[in-house]
Amino acid sequence: MSSSSTGPAVEAPASEAVREAEERARSNGRWASWFSLATTFREERFFLMLAVFIGFFSGLAVVCFRLAIDWSRIALLGPAPQPHNWRLLVAPVGAGLLVSILVIHVFPKARGSGVNQTKAALYIYNGYIPFRTAVGKFVTAALAIGSGQSLGPEDPSLQIGASLASALGRRLDLSREKLRLLAPMGAAAGLAAAFNAPISAVLFVIEEVIGRWSAGVLGSVVLSAISSVVVMRWFLGSAALFRIPSVGFVRPAELIAYVVLGLTGGVAAVIFARAIGYFRPRLQKWPRWALYLQPALAGLIIGLIGYFGAPQVMGAGYEYMDQALHDQFTWQMLGILAGLKIISTTLSFVSGTPGGMFAPALFVGAMLGGAVGGVEHIFYPHLSGSTATYALVGMGVLFAAFLRAPMTSVFMVLEVSGNYSIIVPVIVANTFAYLVSRSLQPTPIFDVLTRQDGLDLPSLEEQRDQTVLRVEDAMRPSGPLLDFENSVEQAVRRVEDSPADTFIVRMSPSGWGSITKDALKKLVGEGKGELTLGSTLPVRSLPYLHPDQALEIALRYVNQTPLVPVVHRADLHKLVGVISRDDVLKKYQIVGDGEE
Amino acid sequence: MKFERLEAFFRRPPVVVVCLLILAIAAFAGVTRLANRFHEQQKALARHLFAAGQAALQSGEMEQAVEDFRAALSYSRDDPEYQLSLARALRDTGRTDEAETYLLSLWEHAPQEADISLALGRLYAREKSVESAIRFYHNAIYGVWESDPDLHRRDAQLELVDFLLKQGATQQAQAELITLATELPRDASLLVRVGQMFARTQDYDHALGEFQRVLRFDRDNAEALAGAGDAEFHLGRYRAAQGHLQAAVRQNPNDSQSKTTLEICTLVLQSDPFARRISNAERNRRIRAAFDRAGERLASCGAEPAGNQPGQGLPASLGVLKAQWEEMKPKLRRLNSPEEADLPDTAMDLVAQIEQEAGSEKQCSSATPLDRALLLVAQDHSGGGR
Repeated sequence: MSSSSTGPAVEAPASEAVREAEERARSNGRWASWFSLATTFREERFFLMLAVFIGFFSGLAVVCFRLAIDWSRIALLGPAPQPHNWRLLVAPVGAGLLVSILVIHVFPKARGSGVNQTKAALYIYNGYIPFRTAVGKFVTAALAIGSGQSLGPEDPSLQIGASLASALGRRLDLSREKLRLLAPMGAAAGLAAAFNAPISAVLFVIEEVIGRWSAGVLGSVVLSAISSVVVMRWFLGSAALFRIPSVGFVRPAELIAYVVLGLTGGVAAVIFARAIGYFRPRLQKWPRWALYLQPALAGLIIGLIGYFGAPQVMGAGYEYMDQALHDQFTWQMLGILAGLKIISTTLSFVSGTPGGMFAPALFVGAMLGGAVGGVEHIFYPHLSGSTATYALVGMGVLFAAFLRAPMTSVFMVLEVSGNYSIIVPVIVANTFAYLVSRSLQPTPIFDVLTRQDGLDLPSLEEQRDQTVLRVEDAMRPSGPLLDFENSVEQAVRRVEDSPADTFIVRMSPSGWGSITKDALKKLVGEGKGELTLGSTLPVRSLPYLHPDQALEIALRYVNQTPLVPVVHRADLHKLVGVISRDDVLKKYQIVGDGEE
Repeated sequence: MKFERLEAFFRRPPVVVVCLLILAIAAFAGVTRLANRFHEQQKALARHLFAAGQAALQSGEMEQAVEDFRAALSYSRDDPEYQLSLARALRDTGRTDEAETYLLSLWEHAPQEADISLALGRLYAREKSVESAIRFYHNAIYGVWESDPDLHRRDAQLELVDFLLKQGATQQAQAELITLATELPRDASLLVRVGQMFARTQDYDHALGEFQRVLRFDRDNAEALAGAGDAEFHLGRYRAAQGHLQAAVRQNPNDSQSKTTLEICTLVLQSDPFARRISNAERNRRIRAAFDRAGERLASCGAEPAGNQPGQGLPASLGVLKAQWEEMKPKLRRLNSPEEADLPDTAMDLVAQIEQEAGSEKQCSSATPLDRALLLVAQDHSGGGR
C-alpha cells in the first residue's frame, strides 16, 4: 500500500474545535509513534540477531550431522567400500532394522525427507517442530545414510535447522507470528550448511517450504543461511561441494545438445517421481510388523547392488558425483549408475527410511548428464562441452524437473560450479526438463507426498497456476473528479447529473478526499456554498491504490471508505479509476463462478 | 513470585543475547573438539589408503592402486600428492581420458606446479600429441619445483628431447639440447647422455663437444670414447675417430658398434686414394682396388646369361653403371698418363655411384665394411653425401 494515510475519509465538514483537537492529538501521537518506532526497531534488531544465532546453531548441528554420517559410514561400511565386501550386505540390513525400530517407537516424526514435515509445521502447527524430531532425524538419518541407504543429508539438515529454530523460539516465548518466521530461517540455515550454497538454500526454502514470495522473511532467512554457511566452512573448509573442472559453452548451436539433455532429464525425473508416488502408499499399507522390515529390505537390495559391482549408489554419493565430473566413468557406466540410483533411492525413500532426496536427485542428474553427453559425443565428436559440463547441467536438470524448483536449480549449478559461462545451457536444459516434467506429472513430488499424508499445503507451483486478480480487474471509471479549490456550489453543479453518490476530491498539494452528494447539499443548505471543498474536508488523505496491486490488498481499505481512488504510479495526481467494496466482491464472485 | 521475576529477567532481549552467546561459545568449543578429531581421523585414513595405493603400485596392481588413491582422496580431496598419484596411476593403466581430466583440473587450480605439468606432458607424449606435450613439458621446465629444481628441470628437458627424437622432430630436439647443454654440471653420465642425444639429432659437432668435456676429466670413459669416435667418424675425422674408437674397444671389448665403426674407419684410411703422403703407385693401387671392388659389387647384383648383352638382367640404373664400368676398365691402365688427369676422380665417382646404387637394390649383396668405406671415401672426395 502506497499511502501513509490512517483513517477513512470523513464526509462531514469538521468544525474549528474538532480541527484543534485533532492537531493536539497529532502532536501527542508524534511522541507515541517515536516511542513505538524505537521499540519496533529494538525488536527488529533482536530478531535479526536471533536469525544469526539460529544460523550459527544450525550450522553447528549440520557440522555434527555430517561428522556423524561419516563416522557411521566408516564404522559400518569401512573406509573404502568396494564390491564383494560382506559389509555392504550386512550394514544396510542391520542399520535398517535399528532405524525402523527407532522411527516406529521413538521418533515417529523423523520419517521421510523433512521438507514436507517442515512445511506442515509452518502452515499447520504455527511453526512448531518438537526438538525430539531434530534428535530423531539426526540419529536415524545419520545411521541410514552411513549404512548405505540411498538418501542424502540435505533435507534432514533442513528439518534439523528448522527444529532447532522452533525450539529456540518457544524457549524465548516468541509470538505465533514470529515462531512461524523462525522455522524457515532454521530450514534455510540447515540446508545452506548442508549444501554449502546459501543462495540456493534461501531460494529452495522460498520455493518449497514457505511456498510464496515474502519480502518480510527474506532478510532474516538470508542472514541465518549465511551465518550457518560461515560456521560450516569454519569447520569443514570453504571448498565447494564438488571440484569442478573446466566447463564451458562455446557455440550456441550446441544448445540443441542441452535440449536433448533437458528432455531426457525431464522423462527420468517423471519416472523417478512416479515410482516414489506409486510405491510409497502401497508400502505404507503393509501390516505393522512388515513396516519393521521395510528399511532392512530396501537396505538388502541396495547392498546387493553394491556387492555385485555398484557401491557408488550407496549413501549420498558425493564423491562419485565428483568422479563423474572428472570423467572417471564411461557413458555406459554413467547410464547404469543413473538407473540404479533411481531404483535404490526409490526403495530407500518408500521404505520410510529417514533421509533426503536432494543428493540422489543430483546424483542421478550428474550421471544422466554425463551419459547423455557421452552418447552425443559419439555422434557429434566436435561438441565442445566436456563430460563435466553435461554432468553439471544434468544436476540442474534433475533438480528442476524432479524437485520442481527451477530457480533454485539454476542458482544451485552456479553456486556449485562458480562458473557463469554455462548459465545459458543450464537455463535451456532446466526449462525443457521442467516443462516435460510438468506436462507428464502435473503434481510435484513434494505435493504428491503431502497429499498421500492427507495434507494440502500451499506451494509456489500452485501459485504459478493461479490467476492473480489485480485492482485493475475490479476498478471502474470514477465519476466527476472534484478539485479542492472548487466551491461547494460548483461541486454541486458538477455532480448534479451524475448517478454516483460519492465523489473523489483531489487535494493540495497531494492526497485525495471524498465527499457524498448529500454532504454537498447539506453544506449548501447551511449557507456554506461559497467555501472551497478543501476547507470543508479533513486534512487526512484517503488511502489510495495502484492498478497493478493485488485485489486482496484492496480488501483492507474498501471497508474503511466507500470509495478508494486508484492512482497512476507515475503521476500521483492522476486518477485512473475508483474501487469500492462491492466492486471487489463482485469480481471475486465472477471468478468464483468460473467465468475466468 | 521470585521465580516469575527471574523468568522475566531471563526473557529480556539483552539477557537472552548474552545467554545465547555463552551457549554458542560452549557449543563452538565442543564442535571444535569433535571436528578436530574428525579431521585427524580423516587424515590418518587418507594416509593409510595412500600408502596402500603406493604399495599396490609397486607390486604392479594398478587397478587396486587406482581404487586406493581414489579412496584416499575421498578423505583428503585437496591433497595434491594424492591427486597427482591418482592421475598418474590412471595414466599408467591406460585410462588417459580420466587422467587427463583429473590433471587438467589440477593444473587449472595450480598452473605453476611443475609436477602436474610434467604429468600432463607425459600424458600427451603417450598420446603422441606433440604440441600439447611440448607445451606442458615447457610448463614443467619453467614451473615451480618444491625440491631440487635444477635436477627436475633437467630431467624434464631430457625427457622432452627424448620424446621429440622419437617423434622425429630433430630440429626442436636440437634446440632444446642446445639450451640444456649450457647449464650442465660436471657429470659424466649426464654429459654422455646429452652427447648421445646430440648425435641422434645428427649435430655431431655439439655431440663431440659433450664427449670431449667428459674425456677431459674421465679420459677412460668408454661411452664417451665411443661417442667421440662415432661423432668424429661422422664428421669425416677418421684418424681421430680411429684413435677414440680403438680406446673405446679397449675399454669395452663387447662394444660391437664401436668395433664395426672402427673397422670401417680403418678401411677408409687404408683405401683412400686421395690421402696425403702416399706415393703415386699406392694411389693408383687404391683406385684400382676400389674399382675392382665396385665391379664385384655389380656382379653380385645379377648374373648375366651367356650370350646376352652386357648389363642384361640388371635393373636399368645398374645396367647403365655396369656399361660405364666396362668402358672405363681398360682406361685404368693409363692412370699415370698426363692425358688422363681426370681419370682418378672419374673412376672414384663411378665407384661411389655403383656403391650407392647397389646399396639401394635388394638383389645386390649387402654392403661389406669395405663397400661402406669406399662409399665414404668417394663421397668425401666429391664433397657430397654427408
